Amino acid sequence: MSVLTTSVPERSLLLHHPFVRVALSGISFAALLAAPSFLPAYFVEIGFKLLLYIVLAEAWNLLAGYCGLVSLGSSSFFGLGAYVTVGLLNHTGSGIGLALAASALVAMTLALAMSRGLFRLRGLYFTVGTLALAEALRLLVVNVPWFGGATGLFVSADLPDVTELFRDAALLLVVASLVMTLATGSRFSVLLRAVRDDEDAASQVGVRAFRVKLAAFMVASALIAIAGGLQAIKLGAIEPYGSFGLQWSVDPLAIVIIGGLGMRFGAIVGAIFFVAIGELLADYPELHVAITGIILIILIRCAPRGLCGLLETALRRTGPTKVASS
Amino acid sequence: MNAADPPPLLDAVGLGKRYGGLVAIESLDIRLDKGRVLGVIGPNGAGKSTLIGLLGGAISASAGQIHFDGHDITSLPASERARSGIGRTYQIPRPFLDMTVEENLAVAQFSLSPFVASGTAAAERREILDRCGLGDAAPVTARDLPLLRRKRLEVARALALKPKLLLLDEVGAGLIDSEVSELIALIQSLKDAERSIIIIEHVIRIVKECCDDLMVINFGKVLARGPTTDVLGSDEVAAIYLGTSHGAAARTSTAVAPRADVASSMASTEPLLALDGVSAGYGQARVLHDLSLSVMQGQVVGLLGSNGAGKTTVAHVISRALPITAGRIRFDGEDITRLPAHAVATRGLAHCMEGRRIFGSLSVEENLLVAARRADAAERKTRLERVYALFPVLADRRNAPGTSMSGGQQQALAIGRALMAKPRLVIFDEISLGLAPVMMDRLYAALAELKREGFTMLVVEQDIERALDLADVAHIINKGRITLSGPPAVLRADERLRHLYFGTEE
Repeated sequence: MSVLTTSVPERSLLLHHPFVRVALSGISFAALLAAPSFLPAYFVEIGFKLLLYIVLAEAWNLLAGYCGLVSLGSSSFFGLGAYVTVGLLNHTGSGIGLALAASALVAMTLALAMSRGLFRLRGLYFTVGTLALAEALRLLVVNVPWFGGATGLFVSADLPDVTELFRDAALLLVVASLVMTLATGSRFSVLLRAVRDDEDAASQVGVRAFRVKLAAFMVASALIAIAGGLQAIKLGAIEPYGSFGLQWSVDPLAIVIIGGLGMRFGAIVGAIFFVAIGELLADYPELHVAITGIILIILIRCAPRGLCGLLETALRRTGPTKVASS
Repeated sequence: MNAADPPPLLDAVGLGKRYGGLVAIESLDIRLDKGRVLGVIGPNGAGKSTLIGLLGGAISASAGQIHFDGHDITSLPASERARSGIGRTYQIPRPFLDMTVEENLAVAQFSLSPFVASGTAAAERREILDRCGLGDAAPVTARDLPLLRRKRLEVARALALKPKLLLLDEVGAGLIDSEVSELIALIQSLKDAERSIIIIEHVIRIVKECCDDLMVINFGKVLARGPTTDVLGSDEVAAIYLGTSHGAAARTSTAVAPRADVASSMASTEPLLALDGVSAGYGQARVLHDLSLSVMQGQVVGLLGSNGAGKTTVAHVISRALPITAGRIRFDGEDITRLPAHAVATRGLAHCMEGRRIFGSLSVEENLLVAARRADAAERKTRLERVYALFPVLADRRNAPGTSMSGGQQQALAIGRALMAKPRLVIFDEISLGLAPVMMDRLYAALAELKREGFTMLVVEQDIERALDLADVAHIINKGRITLSGPPAVLRADERLRHLYFGTEE
């Protein structure tokens, strides 16, 4: 986790060799791309949902876990991505790739435009500010006639099948993983975490906190917007209450808290857990929400660093690291 | 002015800061040449920390101009000032808590030069950490550092910026003599022809031995400035700042004679508080070993020792903020070993914690009332009046937010809050930490007043002389064990006390 080589505990595990890591990641992504050809349709559907949730959670973890920006505005960028993608597909006949890329650009522009105002707010106030942004955007879409009002829009272009969408989502995850590797393993991550821990103190040692936060905010917004675009194509129809729904802001939060806030694999572990629970309890929707809530309460009470934190503690207890460090 | 003179490194003219109607700093001028060390002293609340904030950029000035190294930096934000070579420390350390000590330094390095070779950066970090006495702590998470090591980290992090101007805000507070000597050596090693330092400090020894020039401020204005020895010798400075503790005759004035009536009754009764074979620690580090201690009704017990000896841990163990691993604690005959903190508080044991812990969003009066919410209105009023009588400054500022006050006033508030619960025993933990000598006099005068009224106190203190003046019995604690106990007169005569002063204790 640490960027500085000297502070990494001495571990000779093969897993920590950079080439081994790259090779492992390569193999797993190749497997991911090949997966829809073998998997039954049900699992491809679930897999698509899982990939989307991982991307959303990675983006949220980047903001909250590494930069201290606890956002409830994921849905604003998710919905924005959905509307921009569908608009471009319907009216310009552009390809899916181009439409998604454009939605990422629009999201980054919105993030840039909002940053001056939002970054004036600290802590909880920032959270409320992002929540307000999502609400404002939804109301705008409902009330401005171009966007089809509360009924929403249909995608008139031909829709790709779920296998292709699964591969697109897998590619998006590759991008998100690369971003997260950079954000958590580079020198930039030191600056990010400094801003998270104490923004004022970070400024006093020369960190341009505004730019650091802006970089994280823009990248996260782009990822979320592409995810929104993919979800819109998958559904074939969008409407404001779904695309700008609070669930797109709250679910990533729940996933990351379950998985481990500020932990590199928190988003992945959390998303697998979250989607699995959702599927297991698919027939009991009320129970699903209640159980997720109970799990959140238990985790926050007993394991504030989530499942990954629990795992790390367990590994440290049994592993050779403790002997080496003490 | 001679035209051949090099321009000063720092030239601040007419600097001012007001918060609404409150003037914190008023038309202050500072000129500092390269390679000079300037000390700034003044009573708590004089505006010293505001000055650091103004120079470092954390606070924007209401008036005046600041030139640094030939550039006008008045409108630059903190990050840009840091990049141009101004490093500062915080009076209350603010390390990046979830990062390792080494990463804390890397923040400064990587923000300044993102592409520095990692070998060079690592070597620099190691050098700075060794210099600041943190060489062994590089992989430790900053959260796990005790307060005084966090202060060292503040200095180390500022040094990682390679600053041309270093602003040190009370880095000497809470150090024992031997540590002060180390700090002085560090500061002296830092000044060279290119680097200037501004030191805000209450530890007069540091000021004397490090500063070329000295500036005294009071109520946001410069009261005196000049070469250090001249300024310290001035009568006016002595009157507003140094207080009684530096006068030869003053010692006796705060000393309180032991009360014979209490002393005689002690032998017969059971102690109010008794620790029996207590061990405790943090994580794997055991701090207290088989420690026994008792406090009689009406007695003032002093607990002295160097930093890291375990004094504050004893205080936390008694107020149940920290669980113990062995032993028993009895309060008024009842076993409180397993009780939670709030249950101990309701039994009449108050803890005036190190670091004040004032509720920032509450006013002074609300801060006081929080501790007395169980009492009825009339009783609350009586207690409030008593605290106000003890510290009139709190009455004057009763509606001000708790944290808007100066360090000394906040400490008075913390003491007042502990008293509001009408406790049967109060633990005072390092109340003199970071205060001007004259403010310490006032607080200890208040404690002496409480002692006359028959209050039972456990005083945990760094300042040995003050604690010995006040206490009936004192214990010296070292590495988690009590090594020496007795009445102040006996302790004063003991060789080992001197070792404690000089940090040579084995």
